[in-house]
Amino acid sequence: MAGGDGDRARAPKRYKSSAPSKAALVDETAEMNYADDFDDDARDGDNEVKKRDFTKLELKPDHVNRPLWACADGRIFLETFSPLYKQAYDFLIAIAEPVCRPESMHEYNLTPHSLYAAVSVGLETTTIISVLSKLSKTKLPHEIIDFIHGSTANYGKVKLVLKKNQYFVESPFPEVLKTLLNDDVILKARKAPEDCLGASSSFAVSKTAGEIASGHDLLDGMELAAATEDKETHSFEIDSNQVENVKQRCLPNALNFPMLEEYDFRNDTVNPDLDMELKPQARPRPYQEKSLSKMFGNGRARSGIIVLPCGAGKSLVGVSAACRIKKSCLCLATNAVSVDQWAFQFKLWSTIRDEHISRFTSDNKEKFRGMAGVVVTTYNMVAFGGKRSEDSEKIIEEIRSREWGLLLMDEVHVVPAHMFRKVISITKSHCKLGLTATLVREDERITDLNFLIGPKLYEANWLDLVKGGFIANVQCAEVWCPMTKEFFAEYLKKENSKKKQVLYVMNPNKFRACEFLIRFHEQQRGDKIIVFADNLFALTAYAMKLRKPMIYGATSHAERTRILYQFKNSPEVNTVFLSKVGDNSIDIPEANVIIQISSHAGSRRQEAQRLGRILRAKGKHQDRMAGGKEEYNAFFYSLVSTDTQEMYYSTKRQQFLIDQGYSFKVITSSPPPDEGPNLSFHTLDEQLDLLGKVLSAGDDMIGVEHLEEDSDGKALLKARRSAGLMSAFSGAGGMVYMEYNTGKGNGAKKKDPAKRHTLFKKRYT
Amino acid sequence: MPQQALLLDSSLMNCIICNCCIILHPSREHKKRRRLQGRRRRGPGAAAKMPQVMVVARNFMDMVAALPAAKLDMLYDSAFICEAVLRSFPPLAKKYVIQMLYVSAPMLAAAMQEWVLDEYASKHKVAIDRLLQLRVFVEVRDRRKEVSYKMNNKFQANMQKYLVSGGCLPREPLPFSVTGRLPTLVELENYALDQWECFLLQLINSSQVEKGTTFSSSMMKTFQRGLLSSRDGEAAKLSENGFQFLLMETNAQLWYIMREYISSAEERGVDPTDLISFLLELSFHTQGAAYSLSTLTEVQRVAIMDLMELGLVKLQQGRKDSWFIPTKLATNLSSSLSDSAASKEGIVVVETNFRLYAYSASKLHCEILRLFSRVEYQLPNLIVGAITKESLYGAFDNGITAEQIISFLQQNAHPRVIDKIPIVPENVTDQIRLWENDRNRVEMVLSHVYEDFPSKDMFEQCCDHARDNGYLLWEDAKKMRLIVNAEFHQEMREFLRRQR
Repeated sequence: MAGGDGDRARAPKRYKSSAPSKAALVDETAEMNYADDFDDDARDGDNEVKKRDFTKLELKPDHVNRPLWACADGRIFLETFSPLYKQAYDFLIAIAEPVCRPESMHEYNLTPHSLYAAVSVGLETTTIISVLSKLSKTKLPHEIIDFIHGSTANYGKVKLVLKKNQYFVESPFPEVLKTLLNDDVILKARKAPEDCLGASSSFAVSKTAGEIASGHDLLDGMELAAATEDKETHSFEIDSNQVENVKQRCLPNALNFPMLEEYDFRNDTVNPDLDMELKPQARPRPYQEKSLSKMFGNGRARSGIIVLPCGAGKSLVGVSAACRIKKSCLCLATNAVSVDQWAFQFKLWSTIRDEHISRFTSDNKEKFRGMAGVVVTTYNMVAFGGKRSEDSEKIIEEIRSREWGLLLMDEVHVVPAHMFRKVISITKSHCKLGLTATLVREDERITDLNFLIGPKLYEANWLDLVKGGFIANVQCAEVWCPMTKEFFAEYLKKENSKKKQVLYVMNPNKFRACEFLIRFHEQQRGDKIIVFADNLFALTAYAMKLRKPMIYGATSHAERTRILYQFKNSPEVNTVFLSKVGDNSIDIPEANVIIQISSHAGSRRQEAQRLGRILRAKGKHQDRMAGGKEEYNAFFYSLVSTDTQEMYYSTKRQQFLIDQGYSFKVITSSPPPDEGPNLSFHTLDEQLDLLGKVLSAGDDMIGVEHLEEDSDGKALLKARRSAGLMSAFSGAGGMVYMEYNTGKGNGAKKKDPAKRHTLFKKRYT
Repeated sequence: MPQQALLLDSSLMNCIICNCCIILHPSREHKKRRRLQGRRRRGPGAAAKMPQVMVVARNFMDMVAALPAAKLDMLYDSAFICEAVLRSFPPLAKKYVIQMLYVSAPMLAAAMQEWVLDEYASKHKVAIDRLLQLRVFVEVRDRRKEVSYKMNNKFQANMQKYLVSGGCLPREPLPFSVTGRLPTLVELENYALDQWECFLLQLINSSQVEKGTTFSSSMMKTFQRGLLSSRDGEAAKLSENGFQFLLMETNAQLWYIMREYISSAEERGVDPTDLISFLLELSFHTQGAAYSLSTLTEVQRVAIMDLMELGLVKLQQGRKDSWFIPTKLATNLSSSLSDSAASKEGIVVVETNFRLYAYSASKLHCEILRLFSRVEYQLPNLIVGAITKESLYGAFDNGITAEQIISFLQQNAHPRVIDKIPIVPENVTDQIRLWENDRNRVEMVLSHVYEDFPSKDMFEQCCDHARDNGYLLWEDAKKMRLIVNAEFHQEMREFLRRQR
């Protein structure tokens, strides 16, 4: 087992190459947001040091027919052209983390977390090893076998069950529970049984029906063993406030008895049923079915995360899950707009009656009628710690006291961990389902999700969905815009260090390229275009010069709705400029071209989220299939000024999409040199004039937009142009994606009123 | 008195950075000119200008043809060499040889010209040139200065004999009773390739060599000449030619080595003609059969030890006798390159994320990939690497070009991806080229700085003078400094002297 331990230690280390500095940063800025690092590519640093030579592994004689190689350090390579690819893919996605999934060869990593996820969907150690060894071209390295044994030996032995609003730790093995109770954290969390105070080592004993494992069609003849005999279960109760701590103590890096959370909803007679079914016209697609089957694999509902690309129909998965459980459901979204969308989706796909669904935002404080129902609200509304109005206090009280059948969480990747903690400690749910598009993995906070929600149950392969025509086939391009002489000279000057970003964003060549692309797509193809700019100065300058509507944080709700309505319906308005507000919350299914003129440093997630805006498939299904009429039906341009920091960030940003199999084509000659005066800023004078404007703009004008979520959950996105350190804006200071800054409710970081922008001073005083 | 100073690289860089002058950012015109040049270079006439794969004689026969006349005639003593030469000819030349085989009188060149239709005149010319080159035909001029061709007497006699009685090797294969079980052809081929790979690894100074060959270091140096370049005090690195060499297929590589081997023969006191004839003879031996070593001359015996190292023959020792077994490498020697282009199966898969997977167990492949990529995993039959900016810069430093890398990736593409268009993802090839271009943006110009001008007038006159002649690189009117191309330095000095 020594080998196993060694390996277990090695796998997490991969992440640690960048950990020391980041860990500190993350703590400092913990209240700011969900970390989105851009600087570490664990693969790079690590592999340089030691080369992995596994040539001594013994090749099986029929290795050609087998699809994968497994290395002793947990790396797995999968051939996608193997006839066994589909089965192998399903298997690997269950037991390992995908590292990159381009066309011909996929790479995966076996980690303790991924194995935990495998065990929690019902795979057993022996099954994992035997299937892996059947698929492997070589004899499995003994390190791998030891590692799997070591990581899974304790998995699946302890369960966390919520009964009648009380949490119980359950296990068929009393000795395991004793081991757990030797730990201080867990001992403290334990609620002493009321009847026998003295005997702390005795457990409540009950009988439960064993699991019936079924529905796994991993490989022919590899049905999972079904344990059907009755088991005696031992349990003890723990304090609901300590649940998260207990769960964390049980993770592999501590006691190594990760807890499974399952909900036997069919046998739950305590909580009232909710009458809702999927409508017959709602037909989940194959991958949606598959993700659901992972969740409901053994007839119970497992907690976990389902990862599907933007536009692939996450909401249908959520609604379907709720329809299967048929209990009260609490659905959490990131902002008021999404709340409306979720409520709409519930009504669209399910037969739920209107009075059983309610929205809870600062504007809509509805209550559902009857014993059970669906509540859609935002994270902020639930986590809000300040004083509430009477209405909301009542509703929150009800949310708190209720035993929810399903806690449905949208966009789990954007919500700060502390907010999760709060939400999860406030609400009591039998089953939690997290939905997201981009679980960026090198980030350490992702591991938080493992115990806050549960393991990753399913992750779709983007390229497969593209091939199937379920999401748009996007042509990604990086457009290189050379800096003009004058701008570059200013860029290099030391005294302009704070203006670097605005200088490279306002580079006249970039502007011309942008103008050219907009013109091309509007006129030649009749496309609908979104232009993204993080930098407010640039956003305004571009939009004004090109006479296009724009939306940013300070744009009022009515104004936004009006612009978006026009964008959707008017043939006159084909381009809209968006600041960061458009990254997640604004749903614009019509758009199929994105031009990105500035972005948040090296944030891979932002890049993926923005791409997600145009992933919703358009046109006829058969045209989009591989080999269909239109090869590409969506376009993603990222404009970068050459020789500037942007080049560096751009490479980092693209990493996630590249790992998903996207490729960025570099375009160097844009705008075409023969466009000449057709585009703006053709003459040197115009360019110098622009340069003058940029240079004379005050530091407070050129910053990056900061968004705040209103503490009461309304998507009141306020723009604050703040003069901060450029290093912070470019990401060097924070390594944190700053979309959700803390509201005042979270008690941290109050701005000095004197520093606040004059426009907003009034509001705060 | 203007002071003149030799411009150091660092000072050039300084002014580049603070003024981003023309050197870093060529003006539009400059760029356009460049682009035009680039296009021209890639045009139809490109083949002539492009550095061709010059490291290898395309064919053994090119080397034979380069021998002095007397030596060449000596070679034709052997019927095998005559046959090998005949085999190497283009079809038309072969036909002429057969046609002329029993003609003893010279044939008028003009008459021969009429044997072909006009549109094939060029083929005719190629054939005749080749025949003359190898002295199979000899030019004869009669009294009226008319050119006729006559066949080489020795060649003619030998071929006639060969045609009637057939050829026989100077040695017969040993019978089974002597040798016992011999290696199968497959075993032999594996042996040959192993030997060859081992030799190549040693050739490129790899640290991966398991067992060294017995080549003396001076001989190895001879082979490495032209393939490795060493800067002072550094370990020798693969040069551009060396990289091309590695990318060539085995037969072509073998030719290169053989040529070096033969041309360096004289240094070892061996007559190259002996070696050539022995090698050609060897190529007529039966693959996999055993031939006694005792039939060899002293020179041949020394040579066969070297050939063993290269994998051309396998040596075995019996109870009494010892013998050599020619491998495929040896029997392929006389065939020309174009014939032997039996395409190997490709091994490389390049993904859009710059990762590279090579289906190979060969250390040599690993070494080749290491030249321009970062090898991350080595599995029993797979090498996993990544093409990174750093790894490519390393390759560029060694003189390997982006085109070479791309063509290597394309030519060695795995059958699974070979049908894809493009074989190597476009974004990867683009990026490789762009990275290469990136390195070529700064160009070093040897130049001189002039400063401390006594007057503004003088400074401006100098500037104008240099500008008019197109040698002014940079000027700073405020501080009265200018930089002039070094070529113009002498002229500039003259000018200054005149001004005084």
